[in-house]
Amino acid sequence: MVSRNLIETDNLTKQYGKIRCVNALHMRVPQGTVYGFLGPNGAGKSTTLKMILGLARPTAGSITLFGIPVKDKNRIRLLADTGSLIESPSYYGHLTGEENLHILRTLKGCPKKDVDEVLRIVRLSEARKKKVSHYSLGMKQRLGLASALLGFPKLLILDEPTNGLDPAGIQEMRELIRTLPSDYGITVVVSSHLLSEIDQMADHVGIIRKGELVYQDTLEALHSHARQQIALRTGQPASVISLLRREGIEVEKEEDYLLIPMLEDAQIARLCRLLLEQNIALYRIEKREKSLEDIFLSLTGKESSL
Amino acid sequence: MKTLQLEFYKMKRRKVWLTMFALLSVQLLWGMWALRNPKDWELKSGWMALLYFLSLLNGIMVPAMMSVLASRLADIEHKGNSYKQLETLCRAGSLYHAKALCGCIIIAVLFTAQFAFFIALGYYLGYEGKPDVKYYLLSYILIFAGNLSLFLLQLALSMLFANQMIPLTAGLGGSMAALLLMFVTTYSFLPWGGNLSTALVRIEWNQDTGISSYFYRVFSPVETAAVVCVFLWIIIFYLAGRILFTRREA
Repeated sequence: MVSRNLIETDNLTKQYGKIRCVNALHMRVPQGTVYGFLGPNGAGKSTTLKMILGLARPTAGSITLFGIPVKDKNRIRLLADTGSLIESPSYYGHLTGEENLHILRTLKGCPKKDVDEVLRIVRLSEARKKKVSHYSLGMKQRLGLASALLGFPKLLILDEPTNGLDPAGIQEMRELIRTLPSDYGITVVVSSHLLSEIDQMADHVGIIRKGELVYQDTLEALHSHARQQIALRTGQPASVISLLRREGIEVEKEEDYLLIPMLEDAQIARLCRLLLEQNIALYRIEKREKSLEDIFLSLTGKESSL
Repeated sequence: MKTLQLEFYKMKRRKVWLTMFALLSVQLLWGMWALRNPKDWELKSGWMALLYFLSLLNGIMVPAMMSVLASRLADIEHKGNSYKQLETLCRAGSLYHAKALCGCIIIAVLFTAQFAFFIALGYYLGYEGKPDVKYYLLSYILIFAGNLSLFLLQLALSMLFANQMIPLTAGLGGSMAALLLMFVTTYSFLPWGGNLSTALVRIEWNQDTGISSYFYRVFSPVETAAVVCVFLWIIIFYLAGRILFTRREA
């Protein structure tokens, strides 16, 4: 089966006055994946998701949903196959959880049994007759997810869905999101400012910084960047570089250090012997580890929160 | 149609009908007190006096109620932050239209009940003859239109401002303006002057005899323009509210 993108944005831009919140975004969300939309607070995640849902008008650029360009005329029809939870959950406090879902069910035109099913999934069956104003924040968040799941859409857009949940609830929500593609065939876009959260849920990741998409690929590819390296500090870096290249070892220069890929112990020993034979002073030999956090920070800037 | 049905569904436990009928009850009690023990000359012109009394009563009490009604309908969306979900399921314009139509139906029911109650009161008090169907029907339409225009103005404000103090204050200010207008003029082009401009019966009070004479109003061209203005306000407030609501971002 050829995998296609459920969401494609091209040059998507949003400007409020002189401030450009989202800048020329080229987002690609493949079908059947959990796409983690990662970025520090204020990076433009919510604005991007709002534009995809038609809640904010793009200043420039285009959005394609399910392979069809989104226009004002077809927006609601295309969104019929989409569920969303943006920022905080939407609800009517004076109505019960079940009555809230009845309103959305009627608008979505999905069967009554879906209400029972989504309440079961988010574990709100017991509280279905309770007024939502009496729900805890976590319960409201779960009701928000139930609303988004109604009709089991092809695409689910969740903006910081673990906000307000206790640790157990967070874990439960992550587990649920992770299983949605396999259990219900739902593609999920989930935004977060927490790298660890996306790391646990997503298989694709888009990293946004100051409105610009600075990274987009599989999470596996991001992990491959988190590699271990060996750093060498020597008195004759130029000679060492040519020696390493002769030996077929990739090398890059970083300030006073030469960075080479992780080597076996025997290879390190051989390298040290070669340097010694050529009278090259070796001051330091260190193991460097570039974690996901380091990559995230290098992509988003050191001032970003994790 | 689906969105309109849901508007009534959302009103569950919001006591919107109760609030409206509480107003009606107050009006009825006021009417029963003000029109009690009619004299012979009052029985003769009773049906006309009743129409005059209704215009007066509505002018005093209804504008504030229209702001409360609009606020009750819009506030449920602001409180639960539900626009951003609803607007992914239906068009903002359709949502606005459903709210306007819902309010329109409530107002129609309110004034139908009001007219029914007061006509029943007229019969109970023993007014001579029968109510003039033509004038009562016209009066109903004009009262409905005058207050609908106010409701649509208030709805626009309530839908656009999350803080309901803003539209409620505007509504209260408007009600005061409507009350003051009654003392100084017989018509007004202001939206709050609708109840004044559309009153079909006028009164002349003889200071010497203490007898009030009622007569059907003959509209001057400028007064006719004020009545037409009421209908224009309906169109303007509906369209302006809907356009502004659909243009804003959730």
